[in-house]
Amino acid sequence: MTTTTYPQVLTRRMTEHPADSHTLARYEATGGYQQARAAMGMTREQLVETVKESGLIGRGGAGFSAGMKWSFLAPPRPSYLVVNGDESEPGTFKDRQLLERDPHQMIEGIIIASVANEVHEAFIYIRGEYPKPARRVQHAIDEAYAAGYLGDGIFGSDYQLDVTVHLGGGAYICGEETALINSLEGRRGEPRLKPPYFPAAKGLYMLPTIVNNVETVSNLPHILEMGADAYKALGHDKDTGTFLFSVSGHVKRPGNYELPHGITWRELIFDIAGGMLDGRELKAWIPGGASAPWFVPEEHLDMPITKDDCGQAGSMLGSGAVIVMDDSTCMVKAAERVVRFFAHESCGQCTPCREGTTWMQQILARIEEGHGRAVDLDLLLDVSDNISPGLAWPPKMTTICPLGPSAVSPVTSLAKYFREEVEAHVTEGRCPLG
Amino acid sequence: MADLVKITVDGKEIEVEAGTPVIDAAIDNGTYIPHFCHHSRLEPVGLCRMCLVELETPRGMVLTPSCTLPASEGQVIHTKTPVVDKAQEGVLEFLLINHPLDCPVCDKGGECPLQDQTLGYGPGESRFVEEKRHFEKPVPVSDLVLLDRERCILCSRCVRFAEEVAGDPLIEITARGNQAHIETFPDEPFSSYFSGNTVQICPVGALTATAYRFRARPWDLRKVESTCPHCTAGEAIEIDASQNQVLRFNGIDADATNQGWLSDKCRFGFEFIGSAERLTVPLVRDGDGFRESTWAEALDLVAERLGAVIESRGGEAVAGFGGARGTNEDAYAFSKFMRAVVGSNHIDARMDDAPAAELLAAVQPRATIGDLDTASTILLWGPDLKEEAGTLYLRVRQAVQKRGAKLVVVHPRRTGLDDRATWKFTYRPGTGFGTLEAFASGAGDFAEARKALDEGPVVAVVGLTGMTEDPTLATAVAAFAAGLPDAKILPVARRSNTFGALDMGCAPGLLPGRVSFGDADAVAAFEAAFGAVPDHAGLDTSGMLEGLANGDLAAAVLVGADPVRDVPDGALARRALEAADFVVALDLFLTDSSSLADVVLPAEGFAEKEGTFTNLEGRVSKVNRIVAGPGQTQPDWSILEEIARRMGRPMGFDSAETVAEEIATVAPAYADLRWRDVERKKPEGVLLDGGWYTPKAPAGPDVDADMVLHLARTLYDDGVAMRQSLSLHHLAPGGVAYLHPGDAERLGVTEGDQVVVVGSAGEATLPVRFDPSLPAGVVYVPFNQAGVPSLGAGAAVEVRSA
Amino acid sequence: MSWSPETVARAERIMQRYPERRSAVMPLLYLSMLEDGYLTDDGMREVAEWTGLTPVQVKSVASFYGMFKLRYTGKYLVSVCTSISCMLRGADDVMAAVEDEAGVPHGETDDDGVIAVEHVECIGACGGAPAVQVNYELIEGITPEQARDLVRWLREEQPDKIVADDLQERFGGTRSFDWAIRETEGAVGPFPAFGPYGTVAEEDRS
Repeated sequence: MTTTTYPQVLTRRMTEHPADSHTLARYEATGGYQQARAAMGMTREQLVETVKESGLIGRGGAGFSAGMKWSFLAPPRPSYLVVNGDESEPGTFKDRQLLERDPHQMIEGIIIASVANEVHEAFIYIRGEYPKPARRVQHAIDEAYAAGYLGDGIFGSDYQLDVTVHLGGGAYICGEETALINSLEGRRGEPRLKPPYFPAAKGLYMLPTIVNNVETVSNLPHILEMGADAYKALGHDKDTGTFLFSVSGHVKRPGNYELPHGITWRELIFDIAGGMLDGRELKAWIPGGASAPWFVPEEHLDMPITKDDCGQAGSMLGSGAVIVMDDSTCMVKAAERVVRFFAHESCGQCTPCREGTTWMQQILARIEEGHGRAVDLDLLLDVSDNISPGLAWPPKMTTICPLGPSAVSPVTSLAKYFREEVEAHVTEGRCPLG
Repeated sequence: MADLVKITVDGKEIEVEAGTPVIDAAIDNGTYIPHFCHHSRLEPVGLCRMCLVELETPRGMVLTPSCTLPASEGQVIHTKTPVVDKAQEGVLEFLLINHPLDCPVCDKGGECPLQDQTLGYGPGESRFVEEKRHFEKPVPVSDLVLLDRERCILCSRCVRFAEEVAGDPLIEITARGNQAHIETFPDEPFSSYFSGNTVQICPVGALTATAYRFRARPWDLRKVESTCPHCTAGEAIEIDASQNQVLRFNGIDADATNQGWLSDKCRFGFEFIGSAERLTVPLVRDGDGFRESTWAEALDLVAERLGAVIESRGGEAVAGFGGARGTNEDAYAFSKFMRAVVGSNHIDARMDDAPAAELLAAVQPRATIGDLDTASTILLWGPDLKEEAGTLYLRVRQAVQKRGAKLVVVHPRRTGLDDRATWKFTYRPGTGFGTLEAFASGAGDFAEARKALDEGPVVAVVGLTGMTEDPTLATAVAAFAAGLPDAKILPVARRSNTFGALDMGCAPGLLPGRVSFGDADAVAAFEAAFGAVPDHAGLDTSGMLEGLANGDLAAAVLVGADPVRDVPDGALARRALEAADFVVALDLFLTDSSSLADVVLPAEGFAEKEGTFTNLEGRVSKVNRIVAGPGQTQPDWSILEEIARRMGRPMGFDSAETVAEEIATVAPAYADLRWRDVERKKPEGVLLDGGWYTPKAPAGPDVDADMVLHLARTLYDDGVAMRQSLSLHHLAPGGVAYLHPGDAERLGVTEGDQVVVVGSAGEATLPVRFDPSLPAGVVYVPFNQAGVPSLGAGAAVEVRSA
Repeated sequence: MSWSPETVARAERIMQRYPERRSAVMPLLYLSMLEDGYLTDDGMREVAEWTGLTPVQVKSVASFYGMFKLRYTGKYLVSVCTSISCMLRGADDVMAAVEDEAGVPHGETDDDGVIAVEHVECIGACGGAPAVQVNYELIEGITPEQARDLVRWLREEQPDKIVADDLQERFGGTRSFDWAIRETEGAVGPFPAFGPYGTVAEEDRS
């Protein structure tokens, strides 16, 4: 086994200083807050341009340019910055590491993003099931206030910036940016209609709002430090910078790995994550979070990991959550578990998602229990088609947001690669894997 | 008005206002798009996904809901592609998988959008073999509305109506996803005055009305359009009846008036029509009671007794009360009867509870309800609209909430619109003139609000804030408003067809068609038409009651009037009717007043006769017949004509339409207005102008007393129509004295204790409730509640611990 | 109404953090849970007063989210993740062990009112699967046997405070990422422990 070492950017401090990477002292001793200080002397245009230049793609999974997102921000002020720390998609656990282990990195990013967008009020929305990361962030915020990096007159300027941590209440859908805004307004976390409620124009309290993911914001100090070109060079073509992969499932070394785009799936699964558990074979993996259509070794193992390659193969890199399944896995059960997640997390606004995801979960559970019928897979596909017409990726939707269509991916993946396994459940009246 | 744009729907080019939801544009132009959550009077939300269409874009066809798609120039929309058909079929299947198949016992069956669209677009058979979702059913969400959660499709129309339109967010979706359902909070029901609208707009049978549940099948119903008989806003309604029973009122979307909405009083207050207590035969006094008689005997007796009074004391010894509960035609006949047959100008449709008749009937410049939609500032100095003019309340609310109009509310206590008011001023009853003077000068706290009124357009909604207020205060407020640079006045008063009755001359100083006694030429014209008209204005209701009580007057004619319950000094009304030599009452019921009469004649009621109503804007709309009156009932105009003939002065009417014809001929403001003209403009009716009255500012004294009384009406009370509508009567607040906690402390009482309120004309012992919105030194007592003696209209009162 | 002066003062501070008072609904719901142990009708009425909503509007929000418990969920809420990554690493067996040892199925609280059991969707510990939380404090790399030990320990010890790092050390195994920072703050009830909300032990309140 050969493991190439790749440059670490976001995770470097926590790797080198595991005992105190979360403290202000360590953060400043390793160059922290210099970029925020520098940003105070830059114009909004300079900052937005630098981020645009860097090609930084939002790390929330939607794959949109962060700099472009900023440039859409419409007058009038006040504007808000909301940092999305509602990480909840099965397989994803990287924001938790960034929040717990290097909170000042994110706070410095918040200062830079706020200055760039003339924001004086920022909120960090952290999922309720992350109390420990929230505590770490709050301690870091308290340190930053005490040091004069947050509050009135930051870094001795006349700029005021307040940051508030807001805990979620247990709802995956709040990771969707408009649902998150509703939640922060004290409403049900239901996605808003886009148009007209694009956050950059009508966001929090109907005012212009930037919603950026934790990892996205954490990248900002590094972009300013190394410059847009150097940051770009870390990446691969259009996928600039490094990327955090969360690898879980049947591999020897699950974990978060900071890597450049462009390595292959084989390298990620077999070299970096240590390969399959002893005596087991790779059966399939989910490449980009639970909503992504699945990949299989026969077709995808030597594919380079880039946004475009994943897209062309009918799936996505999304949030970089890679869930690896070995040959002991019942694919019907795996699909049921993923669909169950989306059914459970459906906000219930749109009929197709509210009714369809639960129906699909019920059918899959029935097949898994050995009560499937020959018509069930086609029924599943047709129900899927009524949520996501044409079953294409990226999906068409009969719904407001992509949650419903996300539940379709396991079903189309089953039909594409594991039809025989499904049929065996039906004909044998039980799971063929025992 | 927004710009017009051209869009193409299924190959047909249509022109619509920019921003109109495409679904409305398509449907208005003949292309039906199925939908459940969309309602053109609610904000679009795009939840049910039934109205999906395909929109041509540079990136190809995009599937999008048409309810959330605002029309813009050049859009090309397809509503019937294979993709659209498939998606809609899918949505219907999703909605049906958990929907019970209880259509045969569901109230909505037969008029159910889900049922209809399943027939049109749905799957032939169910592919769903799992177990359906179950909920407890049905559960009451209010006294009037029941919820069946299994039928609910979570379109959120009820929730949105409650929050967006009614301003009563008491019904909500709770839980999430597949478990989401509609709920009210424990011990806090959806007790909105407008709850019934949710039943009407529910696209399935999830919300049903207790008053209608299981009463009829839609296909057995006969329907007729009409106008609401309760409020003065002229709400367009549809009356549903079966087997000669009125079973339901529904609102009709008339843009100018109610836009489809009704208050629960209007919606469920139909029950009195079919009440078992209705009078069906003439009654003639027999000792302390009545005996039934024939029409001939009763009419002869009335003619003889009235004739005797007129002969001995003159026509001006006869007082006429009422007219507001019937049609314009009935009111005209009453007006003519009093002037031409009896020879008296003592006639009043107001029950000593309304502003000046000239202000109500002929103020200028007069606003329409629709003017609220464009007003930059609305001044509301009058009744709590939520209690007294429900749909007008909704319209003001909408102007503020949706459009950001500024709202100034001046009232003695909290009102339903306070949460939307830009400025709210509270004052003690009896200090209205001083308050107005300070307000008009823009002194102190009034400065900003006063300034807002200088920028038009302003609509001033003017009426009496309560019954202890000097009625001329409303005239003074109107005079102030008339002096603003760009303001119009919308006068409000309560009770059914009050505005129509005043227009027909049921007022001591007005003749039909808004003619003043000061206009000699017009009065002369009436002399020609009526034969004779008294040469001076008569007495108003309180004057007539005093005259009867002290013997100056000798006889009374009550036409749908119940002064004992309706005037602030009910005891005076009782004394007056008891003192009178002769009283004849035309009524639906034996009321506290008609039971004091010598002869009671059974009248036809609402939905039993045809005619017109006039609303508070001066808008004339039709009322129509759908059931026959019970027993031997007759319409008012016909009864009055019969009496007139027996008195030797026939009025010349042989049908309601002949009355209407005479109105169109002789009443100036109604010149040439015929039923067919009104029908042609339905559901909105015909807006009349003809205002001539520019209010002059009277000054009045302020009342100086330690405690003053605020006596105001509530939506539900002990009036006869409410008493006979069993679904609603128990919702009245009952007798209660509201006190500021500080006053209560001073009096040594707390909530639930009894106090005695000694008014100008009577006293009542009432339980105390706190109302911190009251100014100090004010006791608020809801008017006309069961078992509460009348207190009188005087502002100064005494309150003491009982 | 019934909130302690300290909670009232905290609610006031929270309200100041938000431009519009409705935004404070979720933090105040946690405060209410701290006061009553779970979200009572009176608690929701109180939050409604603070935020200018009707009680049913508050309930509509509260019931949307999984962590606002509308009924009593024990002193210790044991949440077993059974989403895909944990399931692949044996979460169903962990869940079965917890249910068996606690004696109650998913969604229920034991008769003594000590332990409530639920299976939950992903809690962001996929790299340390399978994972459970006790009052939202995380234990990663847990086996069914360790899960039984955990439930027994909770029942016997009934600690006042649940500290993730202690639990991880006692009952956990492989973690999602290295952990070299020990923390002493922890949960005091079935709601997330967070200083600004006061939902932590008294000595840890900020």
